[in-house]
Amino acid sequence: MTHPLAGHLEVDESAKTARHYRYAVERMTRILGGWMALTPELSAKLLMGRHVWDNAQHADAWGKRLPELRAAAQVSEPANARLVAFLDAVEDAERPEQTVERVVAIYRVLKPHLLAIYKAHLATANAVYEPPTCRILARCIEDERRHVAAGETVLRHLLRTPELEVRARACEARLWQLLEAAGGVTGTGAVSRVSAAAAPPAALSDDAAEFIRLEQSTGTWPIAPALAEALAAFGDALIAGDVAAARCWLAPEVELGPDLEARLRGAQGSRHSIVACARVGEQRLVKLRLDGAQGGVTLLLRWVPTGSDWRLAVLEAVSAPAAPPA
Amino acid sequence: MERPIAYDKLAREDRLIRMRARDVAQLKIEQGLPPFPDLLSRDSIKERVHGIMVGELQAMEGAGRTVYDFPDAPWEFTMDMARQVWDESRHVEIYVRLLEHLDGYIGEFPETTILWRCACAEDAAARVAGVNRGLEGLACDVFNQLVHIARKMGDPILERAVDYVLADEITHVRMGSKWLTRLTEGDPERRRLAIEFQETIDERFNLGGIRREGPHDAVPISIATEARREGGFTDEEIARLIKTTQRSAVY
Repeated sequence: MTHPLAGHLEVDESAKTARHYRYAVERMTRILGGWMALTPELSAKLLMGRHVWDNAQHADAWGKRLPELRAAAQVSEPANARLVAFLDAVEDAERPEQTVERVVAIYRVLKPHLLAIYKAHLATANAVYEPPTCRILARCIEDERRHVAAGETVLRHLLRTPELEVRARACEARLWQLLEAAGGVTGTGAVSRVSAAAAPPAALSDDAAEFIRLEQSTGTWPIAPALAEALAAFGDALIAGDVAAARCWLAPEVELGPDLEARLRGAQGSRHSIVACARVGEQRLVKLRLDGAQGGVTLLLRWVPTGSDWRLAVLEAVSAPAAPPA
Repeated sequence: MERPIAYDKLAREDRLIRMRARDVAQLKIEQGLPPFPDLLSRDSIKERVHGIMVGELQAMEGAGRTVYDFPDAPWEFTMDMARQVWDESRHVEIYVRLLEHLDGYIGEFPETTILWRCACAEDAAARVAGVNRGLEGLACDVFNQLVHIARKMGDPILERAVDYVLADEITHVRMGSKWLTRLTEGDPERRRLAIEFQETIDERFNLGGIRREGPHDAVPISIATEARREGGFTDEEIARLIKTTQRSAVY
């Protein structure tokens, strides 16, 4: 039987472990903070926004624990250069269309790993002289379990296509390999993680299902029948490549212009859909997406009522995404 | 990751339409409408709430960028900014739900990025002065007035929710007052530049005289003197703000 005062870490080792935890958690806090502005989807944006503060508190708790272990307060230390490389790779996913990679990196790799090592640490920490560490671990475990579950919910929502699933798996495998090469956050060798299935959700102001609902809350737009007809006819004309018919909807002073005409030709042949509709007084701003064989283009249209009819006062291409971002 | 990011890199879902604030104002003026939504009807309140919702979104993103952009700032500063991220993320949810309460939807009005542009200052002291004192001070003015209007309208949902957000905003102003002082300790030039940046924001958000001192139901945006005091603004600063509202250029 193990003696109640037996331990697995020296005081100095315990401080070093706390610095390693703090390094990973501090970097994760900053990365999530930086990513929000680069992430289009509201569900993922709010998920990150909710967790930045929890993460910061974890880093803070580890940092405050350090002087109690005869070490300098609030110091972060990476376990090794390979862990730095792993987190650099995590941070690399900064393009708007890389939300899947961002969520996978944090919620399928780093957090599940942190959850596993925190649990393993708590299981072996001495209950007599390490309760200050155990309390921090318990708090972190509770939060990480919730975060992993929320992240998985959002990720399932984001993975809408087989291509995205492939991207997610590739990203997870690549990052996991880097984390294994580093020996995990503490650099000690065997690297494990807890699956989302083992992390039951517990609502505490980060209800991922609600974030998804908010993201999906704008599905249709209250568009006046005459404008809906105008939009349909204009979109049909563009898809058919009938520039003359499309021009009928333009206000007299508006021109398509050669650049726009060329881009519209590339979007011919498939379908059009409204993706946004905003009001400015009586006028309407509409985003119309055209998806064609040679790619897509999103047009921003400003429609002005003219008696019982509508005419386009402004028409410009705002983007040409290959696929909706995820 | 790029540090800091350009103001036009703000990522958005397709359903939001981004426009320059001055262009939105111009389009409204051309239609004989006030450039900034008043609080006289449920529809104009909805437009104001939509504007606040996207402002909260940008505030969350801005505070997040501050957590990322300044790794060498004091750790307590990062903690305050991280806390602000959490607060703002809840505010986004609150205002989306209030928008639904008012039968609105995300994207019903254009998003302007004037707030976000102000959140892109490259110096941490200037950023907290501009965002936490300039913009969050404006938020105190707007929310304080909205609470009073909601009370008058008999809308307890709007009143209660916004009042809680107002309490958070006062805390953010307080953080700004604290960090403006601490980050510029022993560096009067840095402090001067930060305050100057805040004043340009105050001036911009006087909106050509739309923000001013006066009763909540008589002026488009009334200055929340008490909330500002709670946030650490001195009487002298409040008096100066009121004075600048009397000479603001047309928006």
